[in-house]
Amino acid sequence: MNAPLRFVGADVPRKDAAGKVSGSAAYAVDVQLPGMLHAKVLRSHKAHALIRRIDVSAARRAPGVRAVLTHADIPAHFMAVYGYNIKDQPIVAVDRVRYIGDIVCAVAADSEAEAVAALARVVVEYEDLPVVASIEAAITDTAPELFPVAPIGAVPTYGAGASAEMRPRKNVCFQFNYTTGNASAFADADHVYEDTFRFSRMHHYHLEPFVSVARATTDRIEVWASNQNPFPLRKELARMFKVPESGITVHVANLGAGFGSKNNCKTEPVAVMLSMLARRPVRFCLTMEECALTNTQHAAILKLRSGVKRDGTFVARQSEILLDAGAYADASPLVAEKAGYRIPGPYRWRHIDTRCLCVMTNTAPAGPFRGFGGTQASWACESQIDMIARRLGLDPYDVRVKNMVALGEPFVPGESGMDSDLKEGLDLVCAHIGYREPRMPNRGRGISIGFKDGGGIKKAAQARVRVLTNGDAILNFSSVEMGQGIRTALAQVVAEVLRLPMERVAVPAIDTDHSPFCEGTNASSGIAVTGRAVESAAREARRLVLDFAARELKCDPAELDLDNGFIVQGTGANAQRRPMGPMVMAFYGGPGFEFSGDGFYMPPVDHNAPLESRCVFWEIGWGAAEVEVDTQTGQVKVLKLVASGDTGRSINPLVCKGQEDGAAIMGLGQAMFERMIYNEAGELLNIDPLIYRVPMAEDLPAEFVTITQQQGHGPGPFGAKGAGEGAILPIASAIANAIEDAVGVRITELPITPERVLAALDKKSEKSKGRTTL
Amino acid sequence: MSDVAVEFELNGHVHYGVVPANIVLVDYLRDTCGLHGARIGCSRGVCGACTVLIDGRPVAACSTFTFQVDGAKVTTIEGLDAGGKLDPVQQAFIDNAAFQCGYCTPGMILLTKALLAHEPSPDRATIVDWISSNVCRCAGYPQIIAAVEDAARRTRTRGAGA
Repeated sequence: MNAPLRFVGADVPRKDAAGKVSGSAAYAVDVQLPGMLHAKVLRSHKAHALIRRIDVSAARRAPGVRAVLTHADIPAHFMAVYGYNIKDQPIVAVDRVRYIGDIVCAVAADSEAEAVAALARVVVEYEDLPVVASIEAAITDTAPELFPVAPIGAVPTYGAGASAEMRPRKNVCFQFNYTTGNASAFADADHVYEDTFRFSRMHHYHLEPFVSVARATTDRIEVWASNQNPFPLRKELARMFKVPESGITVHVANLGAGFGSKNNCKTEPVAVMLSMLARRPVRFCLTMEECALTNTQHAAILKLRSGVKRDGTFVARQSEILLDAGAYADASPLVAEKAGYRIPGPYRWRHIDTRCLCVMTNTAPAGPFRGFGGTQASWACESQIDMIARRLGLDPYDVRVKNMVALGEPFVPGESGMDSDLKEGLDLVCAHIGYREPRMPNRGRGISIGFKDGGGIKKAAQARVRVLTNGDAILNFSSVEMGQGIRTALAQVVAEVLRLPMERVAVPAIDTDHSPFCEGTNASSGIAVTGRAVESAAREARRLVLDFAARELKCDPAELDLDNGFIVQGTGANAQRRPMGPMVMAFYGGPGFEFSGDGFYMPPVDHNAPLESRCVFWEIGWGAAEVEVDTQTGQVKVLKLVASGDTGRSINPLVCKGQEDGAAIMGLGQAMFERMIYNEAGELLNIDPLIYRVPMAEDLPAEFVTITQQQGHGPGPFGAKGAGEGAILPIASAIANAIEDAVGVRITELPITPERVLAALDKKSEKSKGRTTL
Repeated sequence: MSDVAVEFELNGHVHYGVVPANIVLVDYLRDTCGLHGARIGCSRGVCGACTVLIDGRPVAACSTFTFQVDGAKVTTIEGLDAGGKLDPVQQAFIDNAAFQCGYCTPGMILLTKALLAHEPSPDRATIVDWISSNVCRCAGYPQIIAAVEDAARRTRTRGAGA
């Protein structure tokens, strides 16, 4: 199609606009079924303890109670544990609790209030076990073993240079390794720098809680869930509850956001099990405090050892990343893969040797969070580049440009080529921040290039486009709408292929009985993976329509085009436009027909690629910050923040801008103040939403700029790449780099609190005092 | 728990109910009135997803007992598009793509209604100040601010033309 684009690239109103501004948009939290009960759970107030006795007899007799669930109530043939690669999380505690918030038992009652009242009657006797609430505590020789019995699990298969192992050492559930080149390369380095960085964990703080409604019997499960991965959820429930996958239906409407957390099983197993016991539909909805105890980002310690030439040429990098996985594995192995894989950054190294360990602790389970290990990796990588540059007396910009992967150059052997011009993006943010302009006292500027592979690994997605009698279209796919605008963007792709106005392209809600398969809504894959399936489905549907019309008109399909439900024959002034409807009904009869096109995309399996499929696209986030540091108080003011991504081509520019804004502001919160604070006893001190601080409008820097580049190298429909995660990646390091530029101190731990800055300033002035007295 | 009789104006209609004394407004609106636009986020009066207008003032419905609105005028997001026509504030949110997941959106729109009733031509600082009472975790603040500025223009224009 050479016609100018009409829908792709236009700021058409979002498909979900009317519902979202009028309050009628459907979320799982709104689902109510006849006879529905309400679930609540008793959560452990112990961080680590054996359960000696649970007495639920009084709870069973409490008013309104219809079912009580303890481990003893689960049929023995169920596989009542879940997780991604490692199935270690029980539906309710078996013989021990592993963190404050672990589910001990559950109740379904006529109302939430009655469920809560019944749980107050449960008696639990614990026997305390030693607590390890941090990475450091968990890996000491004297730490207790958190999983005395190895959980079931498997290591994924990998390609060239990558490997993994389960339980390589005590309290490490999984370790990912990647190596390329030879360690002897270090001998060619003029300097080898070792630096350690710390990364604090955030709470996803999605406003719609984890919630599901289940209607289940022993052979049929129906779930309405706030879940971004309906098909994997179906599979996990089938395995756990011994119901055929075909007997399970998962319904997903809009998500009140997730930021990665709404994956795999969260509330669903308890709701399903209680529904089976009560023989009634059960709704299980968490409070925001409970959400913080259910899934979090990974805190991390990142140790980098980088060998460089004195002219700034990178030679070799070894790294060890320790992720705080919390009490259960959840998606930690997958996050470890990505953190480990991304730690070299988008730069040339002759040798890379990286390992990433998932350390189990007595804290809330950590899982996917926007950036998916890339945020941790970019924080360390991009901080160290500035440190190296300053040690060598070089400009951090020059060091980046000297070493960055060129457009089309593979990131590592076996990988796909870089699909963004990294220098073009860096020059852009440098220009906006005034990188070369003179510095005022206590003010500084910093830059960073966040980097991740996007689109997932061996990720499969299908799509279906049906063209109805009059040319209207129905688009089915299973990337979940969680705010990113995927229903709109993919409808624009279909509108473009079928040359059909947006209002004539319907995008129904997802259910696993009718919607085409999708591995999950993650890895910024909606456009670059699902979008390719959608585009091919639309082209197939178009082909079917034109083939039909050509048979009717006794012509070559190549002579025909489709436009707004008309079959167009010929071009220009002589073009004949015939409405589809009468032609279709003349052949198929009054009820008409549907032309149904299927589409599929999955990146090819490639054993030469380290992760067994080449990266679908590279998601880059360029960042630049200007800060002012108050040397008396340690207060850092971000005066200006610039973030930029490259969408390849923006299907809907306004939606893309919203993604970049949101990701960058989330990164600002991560950099400056957001963190979940655990003490040594495993208590989460700032669980209350009144205390846990997230960015508000007033936290926007005085100047906040996001720029969506459209460099045009994307693999998706019309040259598009994914978006949504890139801009969170560079923010913290750009700010830390700006602080060093301003006042000469290096902050290596997030968040960048005034206390930390002041301590660093004090240390620096002590050092300089020490020198002057000598 | 004793029940309390309440009578208030809900989205332009007289509403009469007998409610438990301890039921908060957001639960009453959602579970009894079937109005799901006010949403439960934090349940602590922090996030503002449950914002409704009580006598024109934005209030967290999760932290308001239902009996407290006796005699008051309550407006939820469902009360804005009376007659099926979107309010200019709603239209401004659509045109500026000022929502992502949409969970905070009804609250943000009602907040904007209250702001513009209070100050028809707010400057940016005033907008930021007001909007900072609600959380948009998608952090779509720049587009929300743009939508509020746009809504102010539209509301003024419409007011002038009326």
